[in-house]
Amino acid sequence: MSSLVKCPHCGLRPREEFTIRGEVATPRPAAGADEAAWFDHVYLRDNPRGEHREYWHHSGGCRRWLVLSRNTLTHETSEVVDASTLKSEGGA
Amino acid sequence: MTSFRIDGGTLIDRNDVRRFTFNDEALTGFGGDTVASSLLANGKQLVGRSFKYHRPRGILTAGAAEPNALLTIGRDGRRGPNTRATMAELFDGLEARSQNCWPNVNFDIGAMNGVLGPLLGAGFYYKTFMWPAAFWEKVYEPLIRKAAGLGRASYDPDPGYYEKCWAHCDLLVIGAGPAGLAAALTAGRAGARVVIADEGAHLGGGFLAEGSPLGGKPADAVLADIVGELHALPNVEIKKRTTVFAAYDDQVFGAVERVQKHLPEHEINPHRAMERLWRIVARKVVLATGAEERPIVFGGNDRPGVMMAGAMRTYLNAYGVAPGKRVALFANNNQAYQTAMDLEARGIDVAAIIDPRTCPNTGYDGKARMIAGAMVRDTAGRKAIKSITVRHDDGRDEVIAVDALAVSGGYSPIVHLACHRGGKPVWSDEHVGFMPPESTDGMTPCGAVAGKTGIAACFAAGGAAAVTALAELGVMGEAASLPDIKQGDEKTDHIQPIWSVPSSKGKAFVDYQNDVAASDITLAMREGYDHVELAKRYTTNGMATDQGKTSNVNAIGILAENKGVSPGEIGTTTFRPFYTPVSFGALVGASKGMEFQPVRKSPLHGWAERNGAKFVETGLWYRSSWFPKDGETFWRDSVNREVKAVRSKVGVCDVSTLGKIEVFGADAAEFLNRVYCNAFLKLPVGKARYGIMLREDGFVYDDGTTSCLGENHYFMTTTTALAAGVLTHLEFCAQVLWPELDVRLASATDQWAQMAVAGPKSRDVLAKIIDEDISNEAFPFLAAREVSMFGGRLKGRLFRISFSGELAYEVAVPAGYGESVADAIMAVGEEFGITPYGTEALGVMRIEKGHVTHAEINGTVTPADLGMGKMVSVKKDDFIGRVMNLREGLVDPDRPSLVGIKPKSPSDKFATGSHILNPGDAVSLANDQGYVTSMCHSPTLGHAIGLALVKNGPSRHGEEVVIWNGLAGTTVNGILCDPAFVDPENEKLHA
Amino acid sequence: MRDYPLENRYAFPAHEVAFNKGASISLSPVKGGFVVHVLGDAKSDEAALKQTINKIAPELGTDVRGHSPNQWFWVGSVDISNDRLAEISAALHPQFVMTDQTHGRVRMKLSGPSSRVVLAKGTMVDLSPDLFAIGQSAMTQIGHIGAMITRVADDSFELIVLRSFAGSLWDELQHMAAEFSHG
Repeated sequence: MSSLVKCPHCGLRPREEFTIRGEVATPRPAAGADEAAWFDHVYLRDNPRGEHREYWHHSGGCRRWLVLSRNTLTHETSEVVDASTLKSEGGA
Repeated sequence: MTSFRIDGGTLIDRNDVRRFTFNDEALTGFGGDTVASSLLANGKQLVGRSFKYHRPRGILTAGAAEPNALLTIGRDGRRGPNTRATMAELFDGLEARSQNCWPNVNFDIGAMNGVLGPLLGAGFYYKTFMWPAAFWEKVYEPLIRKAAGLGRASYDPDPGYYEKCWAHCDLLVIGAGPAGLAAALTAGRAGARVVIADEGAHLGGGFLAEGSPLGGKPADAVLADIVGELHALPNVEIKKRTTVFAAYDDQVFGAVERVQKHLPEHEINPHRAMERLWRIVARKVVLATGAEERPIVFGGNDRPGVMMAGAMRTYLNAYGVAPGKRVALFANNNQAYQTAMDLEARGIDVAAIIDPRTCPNTGYDGKARMIAGAMVRDTAGRKAIKSITVRHDDGRDEVIAVDALAVSGGYSPIVHLACHRGGKPVWSDEHVGFMPPESTDGMTPCGAVAGKTGIAACFAAGGAAAVTALAELGVMGEAASLPDIKQGDEKTDHIQPIWSVPSSKGKAFVDYQNDVAASDITLAMREGYDHVELAKRYTTNGMATDQGKTSNVNAIGILAENKGVSPGEIGTTTFRPFYTPVSFGALVGASKGMEFQPVRKSPLHGWAERNGAKFVETGLWYRSSWFPKDGETFWRDSVNREVKAVRSKVGVCDVSTLGKIEVFGADAAEFLNRVYCNAFLKLPVGKARYGIMLREDGFVYDDGTTSCLGENHYFMTTTTALAAGVLTHLEFCAQVLWPELDVRLASATDQWAQMAVAGPKSRDVLAKIIDEDISNEAFPFLAAREVSMFGGRLKGRLFRISFSGELAYEVAVPAGYGESVADAIMAVGEEFGITPYGTEALGVMRIEKGHVTHAEINGTVTPADLGMGKMVSVKKDDFIGRVMNLREGLVDPDRPSLVGIKPKSPSDKFATGSHILNPGDAVSLANDQGYVTSMCHSPTLGHAIGLALVKNGPSRHGEEVVIWNGLAGTTVNGILCDPAFVDPENEKLHA
Repeated sequence: MRDYPLENRYAFPAHEVAFNKGASISLSPVKGGFVVHVLGDAKSDEAALKQTINKIAPELGTDVRGHSPNQWFWVGSVDISNDRLAEISAALHPQFVMTDQTHGRVRMKLSGPSSRVVLAKGTMVDLSPDLFAIGQSAMTQIGHIGAMITRVADDSFELIVLRSFAGSLWDELQHMAAEFSHG
């Protein structure tokens, strides 16, 4: 688990400043989507061995939601971005 | 002083005599001594008893790996159990005690365990004490606990202050031996930010044990020059007495600095930390942790007087302590011969050098008798070694009288920190040891940990490692050197691995601390526990405070030898933090007592205090829970009085802790419409609305009121409990789900002191301080707006909302003015009989009114369950939780739903958490009708009342039920009813 | 009935301990002045904010400390009336919205040669001068308490903390500084 996270807004910060929400699920379905899509969004998580994308909230800093890509095996963090960019990429 | 203290000793100051006690015996040592060196100087070879067999044990090492000499040092709250005598610095007045022996170290009843030895072999926990099962708890466990175990912790609080700290550097150098010092010097001269940490009281490592001059200059003078230069470099931070105990992800290292643990009580500065826990953020790391000398596993190898050869050399050269008068050396490598040479140089008789190698090419030209191709198979002596038995290569035994034996079985690189992040050490036949993993990710091992021997070679390696690390940071550096010493002049050492002496007589110990003998390891193998991780757990080899620093590699060697494979194929157990034990004090830091967690205080805290409030912790907040008056000794008397005052007159309550969030932006209304399940789009300016937030899974998350204070400006309140959670949730919605909306959120909780003024006279009270018309017509229920107060001297916000069910307002003023305003309200309210009330009375009144809190909003309820199903919008396309709230299971009419409950007989009481049954039904899950979520004594009605979630509850008002309390084993007859016990028609609310 | 005294009480504990004279550390409350939370729209930037403030309220200064994308604390040392604030707010609207945090946040100053060492006991942020220059700010945690740290001079830092936490932070800083403030 990462000890330090490079917040895109604040720079390198300790894990203690963050709150982890969990895996980035499937994008929030459209209002009219069927129940199955909603179940996937609300409940389905992969818990992968390897590359993993998670929501981290910089609660002790800028209070922005971030998406952190990390490897659950090697603990390497490959990317940290502001989570607001997800939706434009069709991911939120 | 005794004859064991001889001349020399670069670390001690003979003018600084220090008195101490060991098992109540008064002894003296010198400044610079460790407890171990001073005990040895006093001829104390026997310092403790072993863990399982209570065998006499002495000092084995001179450093962090010590498995035997664990003492309890200090008294009362400063008592430190399991303190390694080899690491503890001697101070005047120190009190040390042996552990694990009763009645005393010389006569120990537990030594009977030695006789019972056969019962205590590998896996004895799983075998010997298995039957009968009932005996375990009552007989076996207390017996084992009394007989075994290490030191005992103090029950007294530690009076010392502890703290945590962050450090940052370009280069972290771990270990200040020759390699580490060279690395620090190299990087320091190049201008890099350097932290160099060493667990010892002195920088130097291998320099400290060196008895011979280096390039014509005494080793300690060479060292002094290096240390002097390092101290002069402002960019180099030197941390002595600092153990780097863990390597965490992202180049963060845990270290503990023993700031004042080496000082006598009267020198301790109470304002300075006893120990400091460091988290060091390092861009690059030079690992210069050195190597641990390995014992040899032979019969009687645990007898006091048997010592590691390198340790013996340290005691001799650094502390001026002779290990004995007639010493033998048992070693399988050339480096250890240095000990024999140094002993002879000090005039100590070296009786023999026993070397298992048949033709060792050692270059040794001393006086001692060389016995090649031989091994020590046994030792004799009751509490200290008297003789050794040597098995010659021709099978002949020879007894040699000695009073100390130096042992060296090779060197194990201290690879722990290179392996904490998952790296596996690599076996090297050349070095006969496990080397650091090849890929160490920003960390460069150098010196003895990388297999180098000798000061010159290690120093050169350290300089080179720093140059490499600096280059990766884009910094040019030139390796520091020791110009007077020829580099690479060490003879190539040839170590012959020797995992255990086959001819050993008696117990040959692998792990001293856990009393694991070679026979235990082979027994574990025979019983199928031959995997290294299983063998560890079955035999306990490598456990406890030393984590097998002296034993693991020998155990692996024995496993390998018996399986006929290389130690590399066996592999090591997993390296995890901590490298050496870290006190709980250091890990806790300053977070104890009142500093355990921060306290949040309401802006009205002082006002509440002056009015005699009793406080309750609600999360981090201190909230006033009731305000006892003279003569009230029982809390409920106060609460009853407060409730009656509000219901009949007027009361004032601090509600500042409710979460408050300002919501701005062109899309603020749309945003609120999406986060609440009820409609918010058309909330007019000047109006408040009660709202329910769902979670995306359709259950209720939180409730509160949101007011529209202006165009695109809303003011949301949340419950105290979920203030932070709701803001975080809203931020998620705004930033992640709908970043296209213009919505801006600001926490305003702390800006406002907020008071609920409730009761039939509340309007009369507020009219006296609010400049505007607040009549029912001008300021009806759910009105909300900024108001002028005190004749225009203050602006506040007024909300006509009510949790108590009475005519009520909440008034918010800038926090700093809170106390003045509360005082003013009390003063103007006096004529109306105003009473301050706390959260207890608030809680009673909300139950009387049937209002829910998180006792009901417990994560399993829908709005419909709470009787608010009609609030959920059917018109809105989308809001959080809309789809999942319509799931089959969430709309089942049989769901437990909110209902009031009261005892059939008004004198009966019942408890929250009690379950509801139909009369006559047996207690079973199938018969369960629901449960009580809240209850209180209603002073308004004069009996107990409660809220409950009951199957079909709303259609069962008037029905008789049984309230079953499984914990107390009691049942009470109850009646289900309307949850609004008071003013169900809301007449008071709208008055 | 309208002449009740209205006193603005500060959140600092009654015992404002003055550290020993000559100590390498001092901790003092910063009283008076204002803290305004400014929230910009997605396209807002600090330069524009400063420019606008300078135009409409030059007397208040442009000490704006960013704590999040498009969010700042605007801090000043003079007192500012509600009406004046409303005027400024209207002038900045709608690109920037403002909400007064003068009472919601508390300022204190930690100064002296040991101030960096003391703060390192609380925050992971590297405050060495080459990385954290005068005028620079960071929202971070000091121990368990969220705070904004701003370097105001070589050896001087201003802290902004939520009012309800101010007493705890004050006490904790005293403990953290004690080794430098007692003989």
